[in-house]
Amino acid sequence: MKLLTHNLLSSHVRGVGPRGFPLRLQATEVRISPVEFNPDFVARMIPKVEWAALLEAADTLHLVEVPKEPIQGYEHDESFLRQMHHVLLEVDVLEGTLQCPESGRLFPISRGIPNMLLSDEETET
Amino acid sequence: MAAVPGGRRSGPAAGARFFCTAGRGLEPFLMREVRSRLAATQVEYISGKVFFTTCSDLNMLKKLKSAERLFLLIKKQLPFNVSSVSKGKILNEMQRLTNDDPESWLNAISIWKNLLELDAKKVKLSQKNANPLKRKVGENDIIAKKLKTEQMQEIQENKECQLEKQIEEETLEQGNFTTKRDKSQEELQNDVVEAVGTHNQNDLTFRVSCRCSGAIARTFTAQEVGRVIGIALTKQFGWKADLRNPNLEIFIHLSDIYSVVGIPVFRVPLASRAYIKTAGLRSTIAWAMASLAEIKAGAVVLDPMCGLGTILLEAAKEWPDVYYVGADVSDSQLLGACDNLKAAGLKDKIELLKVSVIELPLPSESVDIIISDIPFGKKFKLGKDIKHIIQEMERSSHPFPGHFCGLAYPPAVLGTGALAVNRTEPLPTWGWHSSVGRQIMNESTG
Repeated sequence: MKLLTHNLLSSHVRGVGPRGFPLRLQATEVRISPVEFNPDFVARMIPKVEWAALLEAADTLHLVEVPKEPIQGYEHDESFLRQMHHVLLEVDVLEGTLQCPESGRLFPISRGIPNMLLSDEETET
Repeated sequence: MAAVPGGRRSGPAAGARFFCTAGRGLEPFLMREVRSRLAATQVEYISGKVFFTTCSDLNMLKKLKSAERLFLLIKKQLPFNVSSVSKGKILNEMQRLTNDDPESWLNAISIWKNLLELDAKKVKLSQKNANPLKRKVGENDIIAKKLKTEQMQEIQENKECQLEKQIEEETLEQGNFTTKRDKSQEELQNDVVEAVGTHNQNDLTFRVSCRCSGAIARTFTAQEVGRVIGIALTKQFGWKADLRNPNLEIFIHLSDIYSVVGIPVFRVPLASRAYIKTAGLRSTIAWAMASLAEIKAGAVVLDPMCGLGTILLEAAKEWPDVYYVGADVSDSQLLGACDNLKAAGLKDKIELLKVSVIELPLPSESVDIIISDIPFGKKFKLGKDIKHIIQEMERSSHPFPGHFCGLAYPPAVLGTGALAVNRTEPLPTWGWHSSVGRQIMNESTG
């Protein structure tokens, strides 16, 4: 699970609503692997990023050189884009957990795939 | 005619006439595709085949995504009249396919050779650049050897091809048509070496694959027709028949609508993708769905019931500057999808989640596009959840008014239903809905 994906995920435990974001990340196995740098793509993702959530996750993983916020003219700032590229796309959490900040419910991450299936009692219907 | 009139040596530069077979319902996609990808002209659709003219080379032709197979056209003419005419007379008529206009055959074959030569040269050139020391080796050796190593990534085994059975409704009489499904790209290139090595047309070996449907199928078997044509070809051009490993394959389709003769351009159907290890949904349909969704760079695209990930694979290959997420409830499907992503080299473009479509762990309005093949048939159960599914899809995607585009097949054919939803722009809807598809549309707008 990349951090860009983590940035998108929210807890859907019953009654939690928007307080289910962001999920607290815990990682026991992380892989950092190079991904082809596509500045255009990264630039387009920047507006979608929830920065507080990203910084929190990056902090948990002890990542360095993480921009604190989008800078002016980021679309053309290669060094900024490369840093964001690294944080968002090159860090892969293989094993760990995601925790709902409101309910405390834990969702396991296994082989890089978060399991967010809820049991029947937990679902909102 | 295979070649635009302009001389015997008309190669791709002059524009050649091709035809593709296409699955039912995919013809409009294919017609659009040949126009946009290949700048094709004289595009016409007749009964399961799309005919077109283009100057494109093999590399571009290979990229067609909504076609089943591609052929170079030798001849297209009116169907044989089988009513109240003796069998012998009709067989004579068939011989005229080869005898009446030998130029068209020779033209087509020379175009075909040109296409292959051009392709082989390109591969050889790229190899030469990579290995400057090996220039001294003999020309054919270079081609054969370098092609082998260069094409390693593109070698594919043909898996799970149920193509011919499902596309054409006609009576499939195999005749001389040996299904060489395991022929790999490497073997194709070796054939190229053989083909281009035959300077003299008389050296060519060939095999005829014949398909008969409609009235003519009631009078003749494909074998009979194949044999007659084969003999006529040997007589006319001196080629030798080789059923095992011919240089040249001739494909003939005789139906109530037309008589068509062509040369298959690739041994492996276009619909068999080199980059898909295990196909779920048929690749052509998956691509067509993705194309309907009008995916733009920078979009977030979700397939909440991704199965083996076929739709996402097709989409990621075509529109790479996009963030793709696939979700499924099944471990085995996700494992398969993971495998597929690895095999296709798309692990970095597509993320997977174990998630239920009726409970998407996504903030509202976080996704731009949702594409999915919704399982209707007997293989997967869906139950009464369809309304919840639509609701969840609506919630998680942007609230721009959009149409649902329903692609649903009669359960007898495929047993699946499919949806492509783009919430940022309205989409045209297509007219092949089954009653199930209509039901989705009603429930979603109601």
